[in-house]
Amino acid sequence: MNAFTFLRLAPAINLWQRTQQAGRTALAILWMLAGLLGGLTGWSSVATASTAQQMEQAAKGQTVYFNAWGGSPNINSYIGWVAEQVKARYGITLEHVKLTDTAEAVSRILAEKVAGKTAGGSVDLIWVNGENFATLSREGLLRTDEWAFDLPAFELTDPEALPGLVTDFALPTEGRESPWGRAQLVFGYDSAYLASPPRSAAALKDWIKANPGRFSYPRPPDFTGSSFLKQILLETTDDIARFQTPPSDDADQHLAPLFDWLDEVTPSLWRGGKTYPANYTEMVRLLGDGEVTIAFAFNPAEFSNAISQQILPDTVRSYIHEQGTLANIHFVAIPFNASAPEGAMLVADFLLSFDAQLRKANSEIWGDPTVLSFAKFNDQQKQQFNALPRGVASLSEAELSPALAEPHPDWMTLIEQKWQARFAQ
Amino acid sequence: MQNGVRLTILIVLIVPVLAGLAGIFLPGLGVFPLLGRSEISADAFFELFAQPGIYHAICLSLWTGIVATIISYLLAMTLLACLFGAESNRWLFRLISPLLSVPHITVAIGLMFLLQPSGWLVRAVSPALTGWDRPPNLNIVPDEYGLMLIVGLIAKELPFFVLMGLSALSQIDVRGYLASSAALGYGRLAGWFLVIQPLIARRLRLSVLIVLVFSLSVVDMAIILAPNTPPPLSVMIFHWFQDPDLMKRFVGSAAAICQLGLIILCCAGWFALSHMIGKLVIWIVGKGWRLGSPRQFRRFLMAGLLIICLLPVCLAIAGMASSLLWAFADVWRFPDFLPQKWGLGGWQVNSGLFATLVMNSLMLGLLASALSMVMAICWLELGSGHSPHSKAPNSVPAAGEFMIYLPLLVPQTAFLFGLQILLIMLKVDGVFISILWAHCLFVFPYIMLSLSEQWRQFDIRYDQCAMVLGTDRWGRFWRVKLPILGVPILISFAIGFAVSAALYLPTIFAGLGRFQTLTTEAVLLASAAGRQTLGAAAFMQMLLPLTIFIVAEGLARVRYRRFSAFRL
Repeated sequence: MNAFTFLRLAPAINLWQRTQQAGRTALAILWMLAGLLGGLTGWSSVATASTAQQMEQAAKGQTVYFNAWGGSPNINSYIGWVAEQVKARYGITLEHVKLTDTAEAVSRILAEKVAGKTAGGSVDLIWVNGENFATLSREGLLRTDEWAFDLPAFELTDPEALPGLVTDFALPTEGRESPWGRAQLVFGYDSAYLASPPRSAAALKDWIKANPGRFSYPRPPDFTGSSFLKQILLETTDDIARFQTPPSDDADQHLAPLFDWLDEVTPSLWRGGKTYPANYTEMVRLLGDGEVTIAFAFNPAEFSNAISQQILPDTVRSYIHEQGTLANIHFVAIPFNASAPEGAMLVADFLLSFDAQLRKANSEIWGDPTVLSFAKFNDQQKQQFNALPRGVASLSEAELSPALAEPHPDWMTLIEQKWQARFAQ
Repeated sequence: MQNGVRLTILIVLIVPVLAGLAGIFLPGLGVFPLLGRSEISADAFFELFAQPGIYHAICLSLWTGIVATIISYLLAMTLLACLFGAESNRWLFRLISPLLSVPHITVAIGLMFLLQPSGWLVRAVSPALTGWDRPPNLNIVPDEYGLMLIVGLIAKELPFFVLMGLSALSQIDVRGYLASSAALGYGRLAGWFLVIQPLIARRLRLSVLIVLVFSLSVVDMAIILAPNTPPPLSVMIFHWFQDPDLMKRFVGSAAAICQLGLIILCCAGWFALSHMIGKLVIWIVGKGWRLGSPRQFRRFLMAGLLIICLLPVCLAIAGMASSLLWAFADVWRFPDFLPQKWGLGGWQVNSGLFATLVMNSLMLGLLASALSMVMAICWLELGSGHSPHSKAPNSVPAAGEFMIYLPLLVPQTAFLFGLQILLIMLKVDGVFISILWAHCLFVFPYIMLSLSEQWRQFDIRYDQCAMVLGTDRWGRFWRVKLPILGVPILISFAIGFAVSAALYLPTIFAGLGRFQTLTTEAVLLASAAGRQTLGAAAFMQMLLPLTIFIVAEGLARVRYRRFSAFRL
């Protein structure tokens, strides 16, 4: 089936909704049939260009409310640039609804569903991944067609080389979310206090015990804190493959190495493990004040950005563990009741386009690694990526490998529960 | 007609409250059809009490909430007893009363900047005295026992009690009573606590309840100042509602009901306690003890008490000063006492946006407080009937008035979900009126709480005088009652504004996250990494309420000076 079939259906369905409101159902059904026919009869090559145009036509003048975390000035100004671009290219007005927590938008979509608002919702595009995607998807709060696979820019990705593009935390995306960027757990240390950082879980344990009070992690179930636990889990276990499937009766035995590790280091953590930073931003602040020597973040450019904002001293450098660190992909998704789905798809397509990904990867702007495949670039494009500036505390693509795959999400829930019971009671 | 107006106010305020409560009670009892549960069960409660650390969390909430309330009340009363009437101490009240208007979160951020191991105090003495060239690994801010949270709450609630106490005292002939008790051989402190205190305690009942409820349910301050292994119950509820797993909402709702129960129990406990203390006072007076103490000892006691009272307040003020420094710091590393480089790097808000934010906050705050004030005055005035001496028969049940306070008693995250569903169903989600409405739900109860006692204690003889002189009802209201009550009205207005200015979640929920105020921006900035930005956020948040408070106080002093001799 042609990749654009669903794109073609999208405006059809939307138009159907609108015409139905006007009472012109018959016309709408005709329109839908036409769309279906197009998909089934291989008009495709002719139809593609025209439906892409129709899509742009439908999107023109739409206002897309993009609900995305707004706590980072770099990301905000990047989204501001995207808004300028889509305005110029498609006549779309992109409004960044700055969230403090993605839960705010999830809760709003849920409330709309409870209240029976099946169209004209307040969220058009939402920045998600992992657990939030799983929840939105399970509760039927997302648009269910495979729109993301049909975006023209998706052609530039290579899901075979990067399976995370189509499986988000072991859950198939089924085209309900479109990849935006890559995140990897990266450690940062202050070289003023530490010459050579510990590059494995075992070395980190010894270092913490030798330097009490200079390390901590955000309190699980904070996302970054839980990710750190998973990182240690994957490094201390001798059966890494076991974590790709859900836990069963033998879970305790598989988690034992992690909790032994934690039991050993906890008394030597920052504040003796009696309290933990609330989130990773607080942990980064502690690094800036010299309270801790090592911190970590889920964005490879975090430490360079923090240095340029004077949050961290310029002696901070980053590194990853020898065995590799956890990596995942973040996406954008469209809620089931979005008011401007066509506009949202065009924005998602633009976010994935070469131009937008190139700018995003620039660490002076954001420094978020691209989800596009290098192999699919032409020479000039490769050169453009290779010429990107890198911050003093940023690692190169080569230094960032290997990456560890996320364990099955049920493990995370289990680890969080056990952590609460052991360290927060 | 009168009851019609009251009923309208009640409906406007109660319908959203009911929607909010439904949003808590239904999931708490296991009903949320969309999430696949539609039968009533107590499973959520079993799950709640099986949560690790839940009992510890409840105890932590009770401990911090109750201790903070009792200590701030006692300190405020002592401060009033020591200083009331002494002209030279006016400046002291002036110093602490603006603290009232500053959002709790600002005080918390300030205390963190001041007291944590890398904070200003340690910087002041390091490395010269301590030898620390890096922050020490000390368990302070947050500490293990929630003491920092208690200090933070006291710093905020002490000024509130002092202000409420002062306005209660203005209704009493303090000098007369003290002269009488002195003539009977009681010392100043004994006279104060046996005669004056029981009189103001009755007038402060509602204020105590506000503080108690707030301290038991505070989230923003607790996230910064309370320990998190486990955190207090209120913070746990907040996290459950933020959890990506929507099933956690069942536990969260059950916990919200549980918290409501605890709050009501604590309020009942306070009533019982104050009743017993009243009995004790009567018993002491009946015994005829004079409770005298040597003069030297008394001086010493007063000085000691004064220092204890002022300590949390001074810490809060110094904390805010350190947030100001952070707001204008560019580079400030440990252990420097002052920033190495000044700058506006932390602001990250351009002047255009800043002007919009100020305008939005100002408009919302002024409208919400003005609207709530009008509603509160209508409610109180019409509720008292023509003859204020009789307890006017009242078709709006007392339960209705209790409902108005419910938004303050239940956790905001839980409550607002139901409210949001209502707004969507009414097709008014995201419009300005809805945001205003949501704000009024929280501003109105505070205005009622700070105004109603004064209003009901209004000396009816002024009214009667005017009536005898032939003034009609409107004239008496406009030209006699309102001017005499002018100062409490202005102060309640400023309190209402401060409440509105600090509201984060209601603005986000009702405004679909699209309506930006200084507070939404500050919370957003605070989730970014830098202390510079956090300082700027704190500064932004205290700017408006402080200004309004100073203006209100100035107005009160200038405009209503000539009414100062009136007792209410």
